[in-house]
Amino acid sequence: MAMLKEVAAELIGMFFAEKRLTLEVLALVAVTGLLVDFVGLDALVGGVILLFGSLGLLIASVCQAARPRPS
Amino acid sequence: MGSWSAVAPAVTAAFLASIVEAVEAFTIVLAAATLRGWRPAALGTTAGLALLAAIVLLLGPLLDRVPIHLLQLAIGILLPLFGLGWLRKASLRAAGIIPLHDEDAIFASEAADLAEQANRQRRSLGWAAGITALKAVLLEGVEVVFIVIAVGAGPASGRSLPARWCSLPELSSTGRCRASRRILSNLASASCCRLSECFGPGKGWASPGPGRTWHYSCSPRCSLVRV
Repeated sequence: MAMLKEVAAELIGMFFAEKRLTLEVLALVAVTGLLVDFVGLDALVGGVILLFGSLGLLIASVCQAARPRPS
Repeated sequence: MGSWSAVAPAVTAAFLASIVEAVEAFTIVLAAATLRGWRPAALGTTAGLALLAAIVLLLGPLLDRVPIHLLQLAIGILLPLFGLGWLRKASLRAAGIIPLHDEDAIFASEAADLAEQANRQRRSLGWAAGITALKAVLLEGVEVVFIVIAVGAGPASGRSLPARWCSLPELSSTGRCRASRRILSNLASASCCRLSECFGPGKGWASPGPGRTWHYSCSPRCSLVRV
């Protein structure tokens, strides 16, 4: 049972390691999906938003992690 | 199945990810074997591989029962999360914010944990070594299974299997040179996450999810991979 818990924790950690980044990406996917489905945005534009939005969120996350923490 | 040029990103991503996981599993198995000999480590590794084969054989066919649109949506969301997480870590490692993935340090830490575990639980060191090897192979193997399913499922189905097989010879070569092992592991992680990040949203896993079809060819995504 302990081994199964470890495997489950490892798998969850693989996809959801950084909580803030995960929530931001999920929000981006949800917003893009809503725009494509309900507003009628072109799927290619939606794909571009997903791609560059993900990269923007990644850069923001890396910059935040690189910022020196107040001692 | 498409041409090799269309499926090359998927094959490469699955191959590189499999190498990374194989190196991690091998490090832990090596720690167990060094502490207690190759027999318990080999038994644990064999048991782990057998469990993995059983999981794949039993659960694999169940994927056919999941509606394809739901599967595409779920994998389309999970793949960029996975890729972005690895890319974030790779960026921080490249910038020197976090230390490089150090297999030597992991080896030393696993060996110390193993000895402590044997003392604490009053089990023989051989048993602890075997269980450690089993857990390592099972954990890393399940990660590889997820990665191969996510990256390889779809029009390129089956093409990711040769990529996994190709990673097996890497297991024998990773023990030979410490420095190249560390460089290889970090480079493979960075390359794989860049590929999976491009492959996730670019392949349109999420777009076909809610019932749409993806009309665009693979070539724009391949050019993104080359960037």
